[in-house]
Amino acid sequence: MSHSDTLLRVDKISISFGGLAVLTDVNLKVDEGELVGLIGPNGAGKSTLFNVISSIYKPDTGDVFLKGKKITGIAPHKLCRMGISRTYQLVKTFNKMTALENVMVGAIYGHKHGGSDAKTRAIDAMSLVGIEDKQNILVSHLTLSDRRLVEVARSLASSPLVTLLDEPMAGLNVSEIKTLLTVIKRAREERKISILWVEHKVDAIFRTCDRVAVLNYGAKIADGKPEEIAKDSKVIEAYLGESLTRN
Amino acid sequence: MKNLKPITSVVLATLLLGLIPFVSDSEKSYLVYFLFLTFCHIVLTQGWNLVAGYTGQVSLGTHAFFALGAYTTAMIWRADLFSWENYYFDPVTMILSGLVPVIFALAIGIPLLSKLHGDYFALGTLGFGEILKVVCIKGGQFTGGPIGIMLPSSVYTTMRPHYWTALFLAFLATGVVYFMTKSRVGLALVAISEDETAASSSGIYILKYKVLAFAISAFLSGLCGSLYAYYLFQVSPEGFLILRWTLYPVLMCVIGGSGTVVGPILGSLLMTAVFTVTSIYLPGIHPIFSGIIIILVMLFMPNGIIRLWKKGV
Ligand SMILES: Nc1ncnc2c1ncn2[C@@H]1O[C@H](COP(=O)(O)OP(=O)(O)OP(=O)(O)O)[C@@H](O)[C@H]1O
Ligand SMILES: [Mg+2]
Repeated sequence: MSHSDTLLRVDKISISFGGLAVLTDVNLKVDEGELVGLIGPNGAGKSTLFNVISSIYKPDTGDVFLKGKKITGIAPHKLCRMGISRTYQLVKTFNKMTALENVMVGAIYGHKHGGSDAKTRAIDAMSLVGIEDKQNILVSHLTLSDRRLVEVARSLASSPLVTLLDEPMAGLNVSEIKTLLTVIKRAREERKISILWVEHKVDAIFRTCDRVAVLNYGAKIADGKPEEIAKDSKVIEAYLGESLTRN
Repeated sequence: MKNLKPITSVVLATLLLGLIPFVSDSEKSYLVYFLFLTFCHIVLTQGWNLVAGYTGQVSLGTHAFFALGAYTTAMIWRADLFSWENYYFDPVTMILSGLVPVIFALAIGIPLLSKLHGDYFALGTLGFGEILKVVCIKGGQFTGGPIGIMLPSSVYTTMRPHYWTALFLAFLATGVVYFMTKSRVGLALVAISEDETAASSSGIYILKYKVLAFAISAFLSGLCGSLYAYYLFQVSPEGFLILRWTLYPVLMCVIGGSGTVVGPILGSLLMTAVFTVTSIYLPGIHPIFSGIIIILVMLFMPNGIIRLWKKGV
């Protein structure tokens, strides 16, 4: 694989909280247009890695690169404008605003060209995720599933190069999960954006992603094609065995 | 939008209120003074509303900016800074009295608001007011010490300019809050008050908007301080650097409904009436009474009158 089409790369990231090592020497990359799944047991450090990439945490060592440019420590709002958007495991929508206003925030402030055409971009993003009919509803009145979609639309409205989705399917029912899966597929097909996707629904990950990386106790234990990962003995021992019995 | 109605009524009310000095004797009737005081409270309350109600940063420094505005007016006048004939209700003097607090708001706001935790800001602004008080009391000739700066009260003829200026400032403050919050800036402010992490990862430069709201609030408080200096003709720590100028606006905003445009107006009107009545009829227990009201409001209607009323509709 040529080096030039790597979009996002994390290089030897380590971080600890109060002596507890949460990530150790994690390397990961996402190529242009690639859909990468990130799985691992609870507490493995997946969300922490997202927080490092989006500059909410500063890593103790290691760096993050976007298109080969070092971006470690750049303020979160600047990163968003540079093309990294995200959603949160515990949904972070602005609940006193309408759905459209939420998405407008991403369109106005998250986009590198600021406010021009913001409304068009916001409505496009809402149509893509299929909530264009809920524009004027207060977000506090929406279901969890719709709030997730609002968050995804807000993230897409900033026209990102790469978007980080942290367990977008958690807490959703079967039909809502299907909707979200369609949204993820459409986002990459229609927008050509790269996606890094954390999820516990491993079957969805294996069926959809181009590549899957596995974190366990803060270290990456596997990274490859879904078929390979599903057979990897280390992964089965650390995670899949458990999750298969759980399902 | 739905909110067009309240703002139309605010414009109409302003025009009608402007006529009151023609029908009510501004020197003898209590009404003109009462409304003057209410308008001043609206200005301060809207300023606080912008910072706390919309942006979620609790400032306890309103009185400091109010006093800075008053001292600026007094000092310009005393020093005869522009060698003008008249500094009484001079627009340039008043605008400068709004801008000086802005400079201080930037100087303390940027470091205090860079800290992620809101408590620093509340305590920092409170501390700023206390430092300012010490400086003014110990300031010797420059600040006039505990007595402050006396202004030539011989220029006073009527209460009318005070009334109209206060009305104008209340209208201005309400208009500024309205347009700030209906615009894209308002979207950023509300986003920040709801979730700073989500706001910043959606591209909002949090510090910039917090400081902007704080600076505008300081400007409004400074203008109001200048106006009040023209009313008292004595700018002293005891008249201006007292917590009532911070606590009343907080109370009025919370009672009326913070984070709304009309709430602060309702809260100011109601509480100015309540405080006026209690200070006339129950002067001894007035402070205790205010304290009890604060506690009751926080317990039973933390969202303000405006939201009670909206729920009812
Ligand atoms: N700010 C923090 N302070 C202290 N510990 C933290 C902090 N953030 C994360 N941790 C710890 O780091 C570890 C990894 O947490 P993280 O949320 O990244 O896991 P995860 O892989 O996302 O798990 P899950 O699948 O449950 O979401 C946990 O033990 C967590 O308690
Ligand atoms: Mg997590």
